[in-house]
This record gives sequence, structure tokens and C-alpha cells, in this order.
Amino acid sequence: MTDDRSLKPIVDLASGHTVRRYDLELAKLRGIILEMGERVVEQTQSAVKALLDREDSQAFWVLDREPQIDFLSLDADEEVFLVIARRQPAAVDLRIVLALSKIAADVERAGDKAVRIARQALELRDLDAGSDLLSEPLRDVLRQLDDKACCMFERSIKAVATFDVAGALNIFEDEPTLYQASNGARKLLGELDRESLTARQTVCLLTAAHALERIGNHAANIAEQVIYVALGQDVRYRNREILIETLRHHGY
Amino acid sequence: MEKATGAISAAELANSQHSRETVGDFTAVDPRMTCREVDVWYGSKQAIKGVSLDIGKNEVVSMIGPSGCGKSTFLRCLNRMNDTIDGCRVTGSIQLDGQEIYDKGLDPVPLRARVGMVFQKPNPFPKSIYENVAYGPRIHGLTNNKAELDALVEDSLKKAGLWNEVKDRLDQPGTGLSGGQQQRLCIARTIAVSPEVILMDEPCSALDPIATAIVEELIDELRQNYSIAIVTHSMQQAARVSQRTAYFHLGDLIEVGETNHIFTNPQHKLTEDYITGRFG
Repeated sequence: MTDDRSLKPIVDLASGHTVRRYDLELAKLRGIILEMGERVVEQTQSAVKALLDREDSQAFWVLDREPQIDFLSLDADEEVFLVIARRQPAAVDLRIVLALSKIAADVERAGDKAVRIARQALELRDLDAGSDLLSEPLRDVLRQLDDKACCMFERSIKAVATFDVAGALNIFEDEPTLYQASNGARKLLGELDRESLTARQTVCLLTAAHALERIGNHAANIAEQVIYVALGQDVRYRNREILIETLRHHGY
Repeated sequence: MEKATGAISAAELANSQHSRETVGDFTAVDPRMTCREVDVWYGSKQAIKGVSLDIGKNEVVSMIGPSGCGKSTFLRCLNRMNDTIDGCRVTGSIQLDGQEIYDKGLDPVPLRARVGMVFQKPNPFPKSIYENVAYGPRIHGLTNNKAELDALVEDSLKKAGLWNEVKDRLDQPGTGLSGGQQQRLCIARTIAVSPEVILMDEPCSALDPIATAIVEELIDELRQNYSIAIVTHSMQQAARVSQRTAYFHLGDLIEVGETNHIFTNPQHKLTEDYITGRFG
């Protein structure tokens, strides 16, 4: 498990580099990713609104804005290249740059999931589904899934802003609830709503539910990178329960 | 603590600053040199405070830290170069293959053949390339005849990666070579007396990037046969050439560990601040 000796306090990012421009470059990189994250949250909420409330304009809004996250992702990659080339970062700076590069990829993929949900909303419209397509229980469980996924993702982006270990652990702790909501949606779509939905409609809704679950997964991936930056520990593929217990025990 | 040279007055002892505890393991698996609780004083000023560090066989140990942190002072203790500085006293234990190098009976001249040194600025003798390399073996009586000496010169220049560049002009002055070639000539000169340890004090700081790369490649090759301790202000160089890195700060050895670890996840804040450029 986690090497106790290495459980250092959170990196003091307030103490700047002797070369101030280095600080600005890292801040710019992080700013791009925070902006990407905010857009993903907005677009996910809009996509889910389009899905559940039949607001097609929200779906089109998401599709229109998709390229912006992609362009920001390219900007983030460019900044990563430049920082590495100019500064040859080491220690915590190296971890920050590597982690932000991975986080940018996760955020961009989360944005793709928002787009996927919007596409499912439009496909359901094209299938000419009636307004009572979604049963109340199914609607509730999809809302729960949306709330959990968006909440996790938003908190993961906040954790990136300060490389907050405690915030990252909160996201890990939310994972069981996310899977519970996701399983609930799958169960309803597979059993209870079998008779009221066509196979095509069921596939659309399953795809949307899966996309929401994946957004939560991306949030957890981002949380892993936050811990990597703050503690220098790669916690991917580690037992979550033991990890949470260990770090909580150390005061995070 | 064994007192190696000189005496310290009661007042100085009272003023002696306690060393900070070093983070990391300062021992080597197979040590060639072992240093324990080394203090160095310049008059009443303490430059090194209780430093313990091993130099292992077939490894490169880099010493980094801001100017005035004591890394060069510590390096110079390893072959008693500080003996030449008035008012400098070294206490503690420094052993080469188990032998205390500050024993009163030990002659520093042969010690400096066993623990050779390469300086910041290339300093070839104002003699021919051949004589620069041959001088050491000759005064130490390491060869019996001209043929052996020729072979030793050739071997040393080959090990220093300089042979192909100078084999046709061995009789020309060493000072006529380029800066990088001069530094490699100095390394060849050091190698020629069969040292066990090579100390390098910022060996590339006066060289251009190409010459630096050649010397770094040479350091990696020399590691197969020698123990190397290098002081450098280039952290990238320390990261590239060494297996272990020691970070000094105001005379203390703050942290020592595997270079890969020091440059990715140092444990001490001072180390991290220095490595990431947040220092000062």
C-alpha cells in the first residue's frame, strides 16, 4: 500500500519559482484545464436536460460547443510541450505537468461523453418517442446518476485547482453511490421498462447512462492524479477502501 | 567522533551548530569511501556539519546545492585537498577501503593518486599532450620502461575518449586543445595513475553543450571501473550522470537518495524547493 514515509503535506504551491514566468506557464496550463472542466460540467448538465426534459435546443448547444473543449485540449497539450521544453520540470513540477497532461485527456473524454448523451437525446427525438417515454422511476434514477456523476466531476476539477487530497478522497468515497445509481438505471432499463421501450430506445438510454457513469470514472481518474501531484504516490489500481482508510488516518 | 586533524577550542565547540538529520540512506551497498560525522571548519566558521556519506564502488554520486552550501568543501575533503588551506580543519572519519585518510602517518600525495580530482577549469600542464598523461605515472613509478609508459598513456587517452583525436599530435602542447579536449586530457591524466575514486568539481561548467555531452558519456563509461563523486550546479547533469544524489544546504547534508527518486519525489522541502527552482 501507500508508503507511509512518503505521505508528505500537500505541496505548497503558493511559494513560487524564482523564475516567475515558470509560475505563469504552470498557471496557464492549469487554467486551461479548469476551463475545460467547467465547460464539461455545463455541457453534461445541458445534455441530461435534453435527454430527460426533451429540450432539443440544449442538445444542439452541446454539439455546437464540442469543438471548444477539443481546442482547449490542444492548447493544454501545447503548453505541456512548451513547459517541458523550456523548464525541464523536476520533482513536484514534473508531477504537475505529467498529471495535468493526463487530466486534460480525462476532461476531454468526459466532454465526449456529454456529447454522446446529447446525441442519444436527439436520437430518441428522431425515434419519435412520446413525452411519457421515461417512467418516473427511470427518470429518478437517471437524475440520481447525473447528480452523482456531475457532482464528482465538478469536485474533481475543484481538487485540481488546489491539488486537494481530501477533495480527491471524497470523490473515491462517492464511487459506490455512482455504481449503485448506474446499476439501478441498467436494471430498470433491462427489466421494468422492457415493455414500454423499443430496443432502440433502450440502447439509447443505456448508452446515456453508461456515459454518465464514465464521467464519474473520469472524475476518479482525475482524483488519482491529484493525489499523485500532492503526495508523489501513484495510487492507480490500488484498493480504494484501503487507500481511503490510510490517507484519512494520516489526516487527509 | 574521531578527530582527524587540528584541534577545536572550547569556544568553537560551543558555537558548533548541530547538524540536521539527513533524510534518506547515506550508505552505499558496496562502499569505497565512507564518511561519518565529518565537520569542516575554516577558522571559526563551520562549513560542513556532521556529514555522513558513502561513495560506492562503480557508482556516480552527485552533490548538488546552492553556492556556499559546502559541497565542494566536502568533495575536497575526500582527497585532503583542504590540507592546503590555512585554518581549515576536518574532523570525523573519512575512510578509503577501510583506511582512515586523515591518519597522521598517511602521505597525502599517494592518496591523491588513489583519489584523483578533475577541476572546474581544465588545467593541463604547460607540456605536451603525452607528458600531461605520462607525468603522474612517472613520478609515482608506475611503469618500468618507455614502452610500458607509452601503453599507459595510450590506454588512459583511450579511456578518456581522446586517443583518436590526439594520437597524431601527442607532442603538441596540451594547452592547444579545445576546452572539452583539455578537460578530457585532465581526466586521462587522472586515470593514468590508476585511481580508485575520481572527484569532479563542476567538470563541465566551462564547456559547451557538445563537450559536456562527451564528458557525461565518459563519466558513464568510467563508472564501470571507478567510483565517482561529482559536484555540479547543473541539476539536469546530476540527474543524467549519477545513480545517487546528495543535496547540501548551509553545510548540512539535507537529503541523499537514488537520483531517480530525488528528482521525481524528494522528501525534504529544501530539496524540493532547490530542485524545482523555488529557492531564494
